[in-house]
Amino acid sequence: MERQSVSIAGSGRLAGGEYAHVRISGSGRVEGDVVAQEIRVSGAGKFHGNVKAKEIEVSGAGKFAGRVEADTLETSGSCGIEGDADVKEFRSSGAQRVGGSLRGHYVRVSGILSVARDVEADVFTSSGKFEIGGLLSADRVEVKLVGDSRAREIGGENIDIRASSGFNFGFSLTRGLRLGFGIGTLAVSEIEGDSVHIEATTADVVRGKTVHIGPGCRIGRVEYAESLDVHAEAEVKERVKQ
Amino acid sequence: MDEDLIAKKDVLEQAGISYGQLYRWKRKGLIPEAWFIRKATVTGQETFFPKEKILSRIAQIQSLKEEQSLDELVQVLAPEAAPEAMSWDSPATLPPIGADGRKLLWKESGYTFAELVALASGVHALRSGARPAEAKLLVDLLRTEEAVLRTPTGVTALLGEKTLEQEGFSVRLTLGVLGREPLKLDRESRVKHRTDLEKIAEQVKLALRGVA
Repeated sequence: MERQSVSIAGSGRLAGGEYAHVRISGSGRVEGDVVAQEIRVSGAGKFHGNVKAKEIEVSGAGKFAGRVEADTLETSGSCGIEGDADVKEFRSSGAQRVGGSLRGHYVRVSGILSVARDVEADVFTSSGKFEIGGLLSADRVEVKLVGDSRAREIGGENIDIRASSGFNFGFSLTRGLRLGFGIGTLAVSEIEGDSVHIEATTADVVRGKTVHIGPGCRIGRVEYAESLDVHAEAEVKERVKQ
Repeated sequence: MDEDLIAKKDVLEQAGISYGQLYRWKRKGLIPEAWFIRKATVTGQETFFPKEKILSRIAQIQSLKEEQSLDELVQVLAPEAAPEAMSWDSPATLPPIGADGRKLLWKESGYTFAELVALASGVHALRSGARPAEAKLLVDLLRTEEAVLRTPTGVTALLGEKTLEQEGFSVRLTLGVLGREPLKLDRESRVKHRTDLEKIAEQVKLALRGVA
């Protein structure tokens, strides 16, 4: 049976079920669980059940009360997911909130990402702002700090956190931080990786094989196995070679 | 039960693995969330693991990953990935059950995964000195607990023993208990045999793989 496509342009309700395409450009409510090829929300859409789709695009306001599973999810508007999100490729240039955990291969943040629990991916890149209540874990964590980001823990193979001072070190980063020049920062309690490069980061503990502590960092304790560099404009209370 | 714990950095050093590998295996579900035990130490928070479990799991991953991808490994090792619908006709050919298990069988053929785990638990008890009737008791207790045996992290089965004295007679009772740690028996009972079901389930999975 050919699956139906539906489009809500004014205001409407839709029952759950299987669809080819679901488009909401007005204001729409979807009552039950939905399986679809493609879901596009450019108006205001609220999904009351669990959602499974190949592609989801939210450029308006999307709310998902359950769990979301998708190959790709792109948010350029505002998107809230109450449950867990299992998304292979995740891109957010808008505002994205996840009430559970976010799992995927590739997570790219250029807007705002807030996740109550863990973020697990092969690659996590951010040039936006993120707040992660649990563990951020990826093979590659690449962050260009914009605004103040937070995570409880970060763990993985390569961890690279760069400050994004427009002055690009011609100007003292620490002075910039002190004066509050819109330089992004990261606060995290623990970082663990094989290769760790961090800037403008406050952490209780950093553990790694090769560790580079860049300008603007304030670290309680660094445990390293092979090498440790600490920038002159960084503060490290305790250094331990394993 | 107080298990021996090992700090994360000691795991990395002893097993010769990197942070990247450890976190990757955790993400894939090869190392259960429940094994990550956070404790406060003099130097702040640290993560510990049940020593024996984590080291043997890492050894298995390392020896198997030569032949198969991580995703395939998940099918074998992750506790939540018990073989869905399977039926096995000759349990005695699996090493964790073997010839010792013959006396515990209750049907000709068509053993499910949970039933194989139940049998292997019975054999484990026999091999550590339980009497056949006691092993049988354990198997009977476990074999219907499909759901528990599919996600056996932290689940223990034990044989308890209690002696009652009355008017010069002494009666010894054996009882089977299934539950999650920490399990406690009353003061007059003693634990005769204890089985970590997660470990048994893992042995069965590996044996199934070896035969297949």
